[in-house]
Amino acid sequence: MTEDTTQRGRRQWPLPKLADPKAPLLRVEDLAVRFRMPNGSVKAVDGVSFGLDDGEALGIAGESGCGKTTTALSLVHLLPANGYIKRGRVELFGIDLVPKTETQIARYRWREISIVFQGAMNALNPVQRIGDQIAEPIEVRLGQPRESSRRRAGELLELVGIPRQRAGAYPHELSGGMRQRAIIAMSLACDPAIVIGDEPTTALDVMVQAQILQLLEQLRRDLGLSLILITHDLSVIAETCDRAMIMYAGRVAEEGPSRRLFTAPRHPYTQKLLSSFPNIRTDRRTLEVIPGMPPDLRKPPPGCRFAPRCPFAMPVCTEVVPPEVRFSDGVRVACHLYSDAEAPMAGAAGLKAAGETGA
Amino acid sequence: MTPTTAPPAAVTPARRGSRAGGRARDFAGRFLSRNDGRLGLLILVVFGLLAAFPDVFVGKLETATTATGQSLQPPGGGYLFGTDELGRDVLNMTVHGARISMTIGLMATLITVLLGAVVGIVAGYVGGKTDTVLMRISDFFLVLPTIVLAIILAPVILDIVGADAELFGIRATMIVIVVVIGLTSWATTARVIRSQVLSIKMRMFVDRARVVGSGPGRIMRRHVLPNVINLIVAQAVLTFAVAVFTETTLAFIGLGDPFAPSWGEILNSAQGAGAPGLGAWWYIAPPAICVVLVVLAFTLVGNALDDILNPRSGARR
Repeated sequence: MTEDTTQRGRRQWPLPKLADPKAPLLRVEDLAVRFRMPNGSVKAVDGVSFGLDDGEALGIAGESGCGKTTTALSLVHLLPANGYIKRGRVELFGIDLVPKTETQIARYRWREISIVFQGAMNALNPVQRIGDQIAEPIEVRLGQPRESSRRRAGELLELVGIPRQRAGAYPHELSGGMRQRAIIAMSLACDPAIVIGDEPTTALDVMVQAQILQLLEQLRRDLGLSLILITHDLSVIAETCDRAMIMYAGRVAEEGPSRRLFTAPRHPYTQKLLSSFPNIRTDRRTLEVIPGMPPDLRKPPPGCRFAPRCPFAMPVCTEVVPPEVRFSDGVRVACHLYSDAEAPMAGAAGLKAAGETGA
Repeated sequence: MTPTTAPPAAVTPARRGSRAGGRARDFAGRFLSRNDGRLGLLILVVFGLLAAFPDVFVGKLETATTATGQSLQPPGGGYLFGTDELGRDVLNMTVHGARISMTIGLMATLITVLLGAVVGIVAGYVGGKTDTVLMRISDFFLVLPTIVLAIILAPVILDIVGADAELFGIRATMIVIVVVIGLTSWATTARVIRSQVLSIKMRMFVDRARVVGSGPGRIMRRHVLPNVINLIVAQAVLTFAVAVFTETTLAFIGLGDPFAPSWGEILNSAQGAGAPGLGAWWYIAPPAICVVLVVLAFTLVGNALDDILNPRSGARR
């Protein structure tokens, strides 16, 4: 890759060739991902759009199978063999990644977009020293010699709070939190612009979870990283993310600044999701459950996909796909409750009707 | 420690220094705490020393011209194990035989394990057509009868390389035995390793290595091989036992090198001299007992290694 010396934001290293320095960091438009199955094609992600700015943290939440991981991993074409991108654009610095071939996209993996895998024990080779595993992307991607890769791996370890002397340790000699730190160090190996955290704190105890989130937060500040955090734990998003995106059955239900989303949820699904989480301030003994199951994505319902489970469902909901409505506070919602709102404003009417506030 | 761009958020308390050396010590301790491991290792060390320095223990290999004893002298009178029909010291021949038998065993094991590991890893990791082709080839070698193949191959290979040819100081007849043992036993190793590779390549760290940008060659070398090395070691030790035994068998039926008295070769000449009929048990017993001891020792060590290195076998036994 030829080097373009244009500098963007706080990132002090060159952008990839063909990059438009004025383009936003990441813009995803109308992304659709399908999985070929013996009995039909699964519409795992259907028309998802979002953006990510420099230094921003976006949290993607939703229940299992709603397409959050698929959305994030399809950015760099990391789909199972039977998955493919049906349509849409993924623009990184204005470069569309969707039509890239496997060899072309491989250059963007780790260098521009890297991943913090969930389950650090499984993502680490049990019989290789962690220093060597962190050095691997530096050696392979950046073509650096073994020695300097090792040195850099030591620096990365210190960056995530592990003394560099521990580079010679095997994964089983580290605690769960340290393993997750090592995985984070690995994701930083090639100075990526975007780090995707795929449930990075699942399976860690609460204290360690807090430390890891704090670390990610600090790295984001210090290195000018942008973060996409996939989780089903809404409190993680509330704590660390600037913006939150709630997905349901392969579509975006609601997206906006996380403060707004958590204090004034507009989409009935977001409201339900928030009320099904324990809240420390309200005296609620039982948690609410959303009745029903997510739809079969081989034959999704024609209109709004949440309609069958929605307490406010109207006749139009089962027929017409709800358009996205943008509110002045930066939230966008895909729900018919708001589609005829003449002057969409914060604190919408449907919310009061529901008698539900998140916090 | 050099200063980094950012101070660590929270330094996790960590023990200083690596424990890699501790792991090796731990392994040795576990190996030596087992009776089978200790006994096997002791026998192997004794035979290893005999094989390495036969001249120190019993002097130069005696031939028909340098033999000093009477024909078929029973044990005693300067000849601890008696003599053969040419008056050679059986102890002398047995000790020198250790070197030849074990050299052949070692070479055959190297061939077997190298070929088996490479085929097993490639077939398991690459999969698809490559896997099918490699496994059908290994099926073919799996059903080949060792002795029949040896009888057919011996003259063919001798014809190709010439009976007097030497390769790295090893005579051609010995190479025949090495090649035959190698050809008939690599397939088992390949099968065992392939099955382990199939489960390893589904692990997430292999996916991670692929995403990070490592090619198949690097993944097989750096990620798959180190994870099956325990199987390879255990397989090598067990193969060594089989190789020594097979060498003895082949030499006994006359496919060995008459100028290199391996244990099988000694048994062969004992049989040729009619030792069983003459009641010359001292001619037969020493090499036979040596073969049994070495095979037993390797099997003991192999089982001990298998138990220690394979985390799942603890529950099995």
